[in-house]
Amino acid sequence: METAFALTGKGYVLLAADTTAVHSIIKVKTDVDKIKELSPCLLMAYSGEPGDTVQFAEYIERNIRLYHIRNNFPLRPPSAASWIRRSLADSLRSRKPYSVNLLLGGYDTSTYMPHLYWMDYFGTLAEVPFAAHGYGSYFTLSLLDKYHDPEATVEEGIATLKRCIDEVSKRLVVSPARFKVKIVDKDGVREIEL
Amino acid sequence: MSGSYDRALTVFSPDGHLFQVEYASEAVRRGTCAVGVRGKDVVVLGVEKKSVLQLQDPRTVRKVAMLDDHICLAFAGLTADGRVLIDKARIECQSHRLTVEDPVTVEYITRHIATIQQKYTQSGGVRPFGVATLIVGFDPHTTEPKLLQTEPGGIYSEWKANAIGRSSKTVREFLEKNHKDDLSRDDAIKLTVKSLLEVVQTGAKNIEISVMESYGKVTSLELSQIEGIVQEIEREKEAEAERKRSRLAAAAAGQAAMSQRVDTPAQ
Amino acid sequence: MARRYDSRTTIFSPEGRLYQIEYAMEAISHAGTVLGVLAKDGIVLAAEKKVTGKLLDLSGAKEGGYGGSGEKIFLLNSNVITGVAGITADANSLVNYSREAAQRHLYMYNEDIPVEMLAQRLCDLKQGYTQYGGLRPFGVSLLYAGHDVHFNFQLYHSDPSGNYSGWKATSIGANSGTAQSLLKQEYKEDITLEDAISLVLRVMSKTMDSTTLGSEKLEFATLTLDAEKRPKAKIYRPTEIDSLLRKHDLAKKEEDTEMKS
Repeated sequence: METAFALTGKGYVLLAADTTAVHSIIKVKTDVDKIKELSPCLLMAYSGEPGDTVQFAEYIERNIRLYHIRNNFPLRPPSAASWIRRSLADSLRSRKPYSVNLLLGGYDTSTYMPHLYWMDYFGTLAEVPFAAHGYGSYFTLSLLDKYHDPEATVEEGIATLKRCIDEVSKRLVVSPARFKVKIVDKDGVREIEL
Repeated sequence: MSGSYDRALTVFSPDGHLFQVEYASEAVRRGTCAVGVRGKDVVVLGVEKKSVLQLQDPRTVRKVAMLDDHICLAFAGLTADGRVLIDKARIECQSHRLTVEDPVTVEYITRHIATIQQKYTQSGGVRPFGVATLIVGFDPHTTEPKLLQTEPGGIYSEWKANAIGRSSKTVREFLEKNHKDDLSRDDAIKLTVKSLLEVVQTGAKNIEISVMESYGKVTSLELSQIEGIVQEIEREKEAEAERKRSRLAAAAAGQAAMSQRVDTPAQ
Repeated sequence: MARRYDSRTTIFSPEGRLYQIEYAMEAISHAGTVLGVLAKDGIVLAAEKKVTGKLLDLSGAKEGGYGGSGEKIFLLNSNVITGVAGITADANSLVNYSREAAQRHLYMYNEDIPVEMLAQRLCDLKQGYTQYGGLRPFGVSLLYAGHDVHFNFQLYHSDPSGNYSGWKATSIGANSGTAQSLLKQEYKEDITLEDAISLVLRVMSKTMDSTTLGSEKLEFATLTLDAEKRPKAKIYRPTEIDSLLRKHDLAKKEEDTEMKS
């Protein structure tokens, strides 16, 4: 079952998302990347209606890239979050709304601050220290509530993240086989092998 | 001429000229010079840039623009027209990625730009873009560098090396004489600088060089690097002149020796 | 024959020039001078007002919402002020347009518009008016003084062709050449706002036609950061300008001679 979660630490944001593609009750793929790199310091994890997710994420990706190349500087995370929220909110009020939930993690290179945003398909936007979407959130949120530390080092952050993944694998009826984890900090984005 | 200012501005003259397009090309010739040189696996863009005034912010003086990760454009002509055209091309690059998931090819985006330029020579109530462009880059999944050119009329063409803008004819003739296939990176850069020096008298500080080495790998040379290349070129020119002089001197000495009927042969 | 290329809409002349733009620039060289100087902790704008008269009612300006008489210096957004030179009616419509553009950006991105982007928006509009049919170019040059997190304080200049460029100190309008060479001589890197204010006033007093400086001929504004590091624009009211001039000994004619020494 789809699960995505994220947490902030000292100068970074970690995002994790499952890698399964599901059709009806069948897993059809276990290596899907559900975290898009929107700009040098911006990551977006998406979940929701299959098809909608990819379509919407690509639309966002291309527009954020366009902004970057037109202006020679990227959209800052808070502004990107506002714009993506606006797109979702406009979509909700259209004839065919996108059904997509998002986590947006970014590092603001002008203020040297990490930012994490939680967004659902209603267009709700909240800046949070940690966040989760999907059935996994029932366990991970309580774990993160207990273990999250905004001043944690990357190693400590990854340890907390592992706790969450282990718990999800242990408790969820249909648990995802693998998770993809990405980090964003002052050096940009990269994938982390657990 | 009966006040029909809002109709097609670009119309054929009785002898078959499109005057507005020709005049737009004239605007290009008034612009600063830009040179493109294709090497074996590298392509170089060089532009003449006006001196940045003492109180001006050099960051805002741009003559070379990235259209996408793998495509670079330099233009000659009206700056504002160039900016608007670049913006349109940038939108198309991302739109193309969104529709077909692939980056544009160099020819595709060149054709797109040329099409826009063509439209402005045939639509009502507009003037053509007073801009010519040089577009360089690598097609996705290839290692072959590309260099294309567009003109105000909407013509586009592919080149091994070419120049647009002020004195572009002189530079093109220089390139025709000196360009070789399969130039190395350093040789391509050197040829670019050398050809620009044909029209830029003030040297390195008025030259800007961008080098694209492979898909998405673009670097602009620092002023010190360009200065180094300019000095090297000047040294070579001097050495060449020196050789010529000594050869002449040797020949003269030889002749003198011959006339004195000395047995030692002239070197 | 010459009229073929300069009487109608903007088209190329045989030499590849756009006369309409050149004429528009001519219009600007008669307009009141606008001066901008970038300091390390702020920006200063000053402008010479041309519309004066004994019977002109300036009481509105005195009580005006954010200061300024609405002739030369305008607030475009909370982080950008502008000084205009050229046809006032054109300028008004450009000011409206850019205020709208800034608000649209705020609506979409929930941030103040980056300064260069605002300048670019306006320049795209100006460029359009030099290319599309039946329109004349805008007869306005602008100086934009603004702040954003990307490049901190910035000063831009844009002209009727739709070109723009960034500056440390520059001027537009009548006598802008004189002003510019004065600025070139006296501008120092890392100048403070206080020094920039006195530099602007000094240059202004030397380039303006009238010998006395006073609030009826001058508009003045600064852009700085407040205690929370947010940009704060201050467009001086007439009384504030007069007291500023007194502070710098530029208010009266007698003291003006002292300046020249």
